[in-house]
Parts: sequence; C-alpha cells; structure tokens
Amino acid sequence: MRKFNQKPGIDQPGRVHAGRLPVLAVSAGMLLLGLGCDRDQVSRSNVPKEAAPSMPPAGMPPAGMPPGAMPQGAMPPGQVPAPPQPRAALKWSVPKGWTEAPGSGMRFATLTPPGGGKVELSVVVLPGTAGGEAANVNRWRGQIGLPPLEEPGVAAARKAVKCKAGTVAVYDFTSEGDVKSRMVTGLLATADGNTWFLKLTGDAEPVAKAKPAFMKYLESLHLD
Amino acid sequence: MIKRLAVRTWTILASLQVTIVSLALLMALVVLCTLAQTELGTLGAVNTYMRSMVVWRQVQGIPFRLPLFPGGALVGLVLVVNLTAALIKRFEFSARRLGLWVVHAGLILLVAGEFCTGAFQVDTRMTIEQGQTVDFVESYHQMELAVTDVTDPSHDVAYGIPDTLLKDGAAIALPGTPLTFKVQRYYVNATLARRGENDPPSPATMGVGANVTVTPQPPATADNDVNAASVFVEPVAGGRSYGTWLVSAALGAPQTFIHEGRSYALAVRPRRYYLPYAVTLKKFSHDVYAGTNIPKNFSSLVHLSNAATGEERDVLIYMNQPLRYQGRTFYQASYGKGDTLSVLQVVSNPGWLIPYLSCALITLGLLVHFGITLFNALKRRQVLREAV
Repeated sequence: MRKFNQKPGIDQPGRVHAGRLPVLAVSAGMLLLGLGCDRDQVSRSNVPKEAAPSMPPAGMPPAGMPPGAMPQGAMPPGQVPAPPQPRAALKWSVPKGWTEAPGSGMRFATLTPPGGGKVELSVVVLPGTAGGEAANVNRWRGQIGLPPLEEPGVAAARKAVKCKAGTVAVYDFTSEGDVKSRMVTGLLATADGNTWFLKLTGDAEPVAKAKPAFMKYLESLHLD
Repeated sequence: MIKRLAVRTWTILASLQVTIVSLALLMALVVLCTLAQTELGTLGAVNTYMRSMVVWRQVQGIPFRLPLFPGGALVGLVLVVNLTAALIKRFEFSARRLGLWVVHAGLILLVAGEFCTGAFQVDTRMTIEQGQTVDFVESYHQMELAVTDVTDPSHDVAYGIPDTLLKDGAAIALPGTPLTFKVQRYYVNATLARRGENDPPSPATMGVGANVTVTPQPPATADNDVNAASVFVEPVAGGRSYGTWLVSAALGAPQTFIHEGRSYALAVRPRRYYLPYAVTLKKFSHDVYAGTNIPKNFSSLVHLSNAATGEERDVLIYMNQPLRYQGRTFYQASYGKGDTLSVLQVVSNPGWLIPYLSCALITLGLLVHFGITLFNALKRRQVLREAV
C-alpha cells in the first residue's frame, strides 16, 4: 500500500455566533467531559454478518482451526480463501430432508437438517493429522465449556463407525448449563493423508433429533 | 504573612517573565519533539513531549525514570494561567486596552483548543474496496478485544473491550451477557511462534494458543508499524471457566466458544467505532499527468446511505475535499490493491472550531489595538500641528 501526503484539517461543519462564546465554551466543556467518559468503556453494536474470516499471517495457523493445521499459503488480509480442494474428495448421501450448501472459507460443505432449531453440520478437511485426535477432542470440549480429557478419557469417549472411506471416530459431548449445547463429531483420516472433520453442532434438542440421520450420513461416506 | 505570599504568587503568575519563559520552553519542546520523531514516530513523540506534563527519560543504571523537561501540557497550562492572571490583573475598563484583551483571550483559547484536541480528537481510518460497503471506522493505534456473539443468523452482536481496560489481573464484565473476561496477561506488542519441545508450557489451555509461544516486543514506534497486541484471557460465565485463550492480532480467524447455546468469537483487532450509516466505495480513481507516472489526483466516489434519515447520495472525496458528515471528516489518505482499495482518514474532533475562533480573535484584537494606536498617533499629530 502506498501513501501520499495530505495534511488533515481540523474543520467540521457548523456555525457559531461569536456573541454566545461564553455560553458555548461552557456547553462545549460539559459536552466534551461527557464524550470523554465513553472512551474507555466496553462498546456494544448490532452489526451485519461478516464474510468468512481471512487467512492468518504466514506461518501461523488460523485461530479457529485445529492446533496442528497450517495455512495453505497466506493470503492478503480481507481476502476469503477458496474452499479446500483435496485430491480425493469425500462423497456422501445427503439425508432425506437435509439441505446442502457449498463450502466457503475453510469449510468444504455445510449441511442443515430439517425442522428448524439451531443445528448444522460442517465439513472441514485439513492436511495431515491436524494436531492429533486428542487435541482436537479437547478443543471441541473447550468450545462448549467442558474440561479437557486425558488420553484414556478420549479413548473411552470414542465410538467407531465403519464406512467405505475408512473408520470414523465419533464423539458426542453435551455442555452443562440451562441451555445445553451438543456436539457430535466425526473424525476420519483418509488414505491420501487428509483428515476430515464432520461436526454436527447446535442446541441439544435439535442435535438429538438430527443424530440418527447423521450417523447414517457417516456410514454413507466414501471416496470418489 | 499569608497575604504577602498570596500577593507575591499572584504577581509571579501574572508576570511577563513567565510568559517569555513559557514561550521559550514551547519553542524548545517543538525542536526536541521534532528530533524525537526519528526514534519514537510522530504519535509517540507528540505524546511524550507535547501531550505530557513531564518528559521522562530512562537513564541506564537507574531503576526509575528521570524527569527530563517540562512537558507541553504543563507549559501550556502555565501559559493559560499566566495569560488569564495577566488579563485579570491588568484589567482596565478602557477602550485603549480593548485590543489587548481580545488578543489575550484569543491566545488562551488557542492553548485550550490544543488541550481539547489532545484529549478528545479521535483519528481513525476506513479501509474500503470497490463495491464493498463498510459501516465502521478503525483506530490507527488503539486495539480491542472483540467478542462477537455470532448466534443469530441475521446479524452479529459485537462487543469491543478497549485495550485501555486490558490490564493484567483485570476482570471485565460484558454488559447484557453473563460473561466476564479475566485478563491474565496483556502484551501491547508481541511476536508469536510455534511452541517448540523445549519451550515452557503456554498459559493457554484452549484454542490455538496452547501450541504457541508469545515473545513480548517493545511497542511499535514507526508510523506505518502496527502492534500485534496479544492477550491471555479466561472467559467465565455462570460459575464456569471456558479455559484460558490466547487471542492476538497476529492470529487470523477468530476462536469461538459456546455458552448457554450462544456462540462467541474472540479476536484482537484495531478498535472499531460503528457508524449509524454505511459507506460504499463505487470507484477509486488514481489520475496521472498524461505520459507520466506523476500523480495528478486521487479520488473516491462513495455512496452514503443512512437508514435512519433516509439519506442516499453519492459523494466524491478527493484531495482537500473531504466528506464532512455527522461530526466526522473523511479525507482521502491512501490506496492500494492495484487501485481498487481506498483508505480514508476519518477524524472526529469536538474542538475543531476552537483554533479558528482563537485566530479570528487574535487578528481582531491586533487590528483593534493597532487601529486605536494609529488613531491616537494621528490625533496627537493633529494637536501638534494646531499648536504650531
């Protein structure tokens, strides 16, 4: 980015009568004190949804991604990366009534079950082991406020689902609290060296309704 | 005794010597501040020399900072008190002195205006690509911990915790939510690297930070450098901890956690000020003189859209022709991305009028004073002529 010189001025619109100067000065002083008080407070704004996050600086993983994930070439800030294109794409049968949207940002695809409520299935693919299974499991648990598990705890929580693309490790976690969040995740390492993350997340009730169809979805996974 | 002391203090306060010394100190400060810009950058030098009460300097071998010079704020304050005292002390309700009163009032206002600008001016920028619509401006130097509730499919709720609140050990409640953020460690500037096997464990227990080492860096001083502010922070809600997260301007995508069915994304970014209107960049133009690469003109054709007032209009912003709107002034400041991106400097200064008023007062005062002097001189000459 190049810069060129321009001195900003200090003028703003408005008109003031000189005869009211003392009144203006006092009023302005009070106004300024009022304005000054807002400077160091937490702000709150309703804002439009932002586009998918940009890639991180070179050499650092995207903050929302698994611990071992590396960016596939850094891009300038503000640019949305194209969905990842693995060599052997994973295929599946979309459960009846579900809708599928193409991927954007780091997502390969997004599927939404019918019936409303807060629930969605995200599909993400990353090269390598993406930080390892235990680290990812604990990252998911942390996202809903659950404490991390040691390796034996991770193994105990694991369920295996067979499909044509391999064995999917499935985890099912529900948060505490009045409004419970639930996360059913499938983790699949494919022969081409990629790791697929299939994550059904949302409020506990709609996730519970969608889970049987999700398990059948996992069984339908295959490589083209 | 007390009365004599008060009289003596009053005489010193209103003395011309104090005025001269103050003006001399201000001149010296201007020189020192200019020289310091190479080391501290423009903003750093202005804050250190002009907008401080005392210029402090760290000397090697001494564990504390030493006062080096009176700061611009202190000298300015003394000058205002001195001029005000002089005005009151020498107050003489006669037309002969009218011009001098006005000049003094103008000078006082000029210094007060600088205090106002220093305290309340907010310099921000709007970075906008062709076709993009933006409804916020960003600070050049201040950062914030942004917590965004991304639960609602139609819109987000953005909370900004300014870096001035991010003090080690601070607990910051997010208004309207059950969330409190406990700041464990805040770095104004830091570099991030992958944690090696021999590195000490990270304070972060969640997110990407568990595998990252943070190395503190001195704050950036060059005008074009940006601090990579980083913070170890622990969100707590409903008596539950969501672990310690490393959130940094050097990380890309936000990190999220879910509390009571609501998803919150964490990021550190330049402090944002959302506007009640939106600006769309229709076209950025970079004109050059024919047959050369010498810039002739830079301009941004923007569309201003204000849902609250129903205002919809196009505005052309170019060199020295800013857009002035609702207390903010948008200047063409920079560009990039193959002439498809425009950077507007956005200045908000509640005291914008004060320097104009003070200059007008000083001019008026001098005109009146010299007018009266001229009138009296002509009158004396006339009297002399008549006497001869």
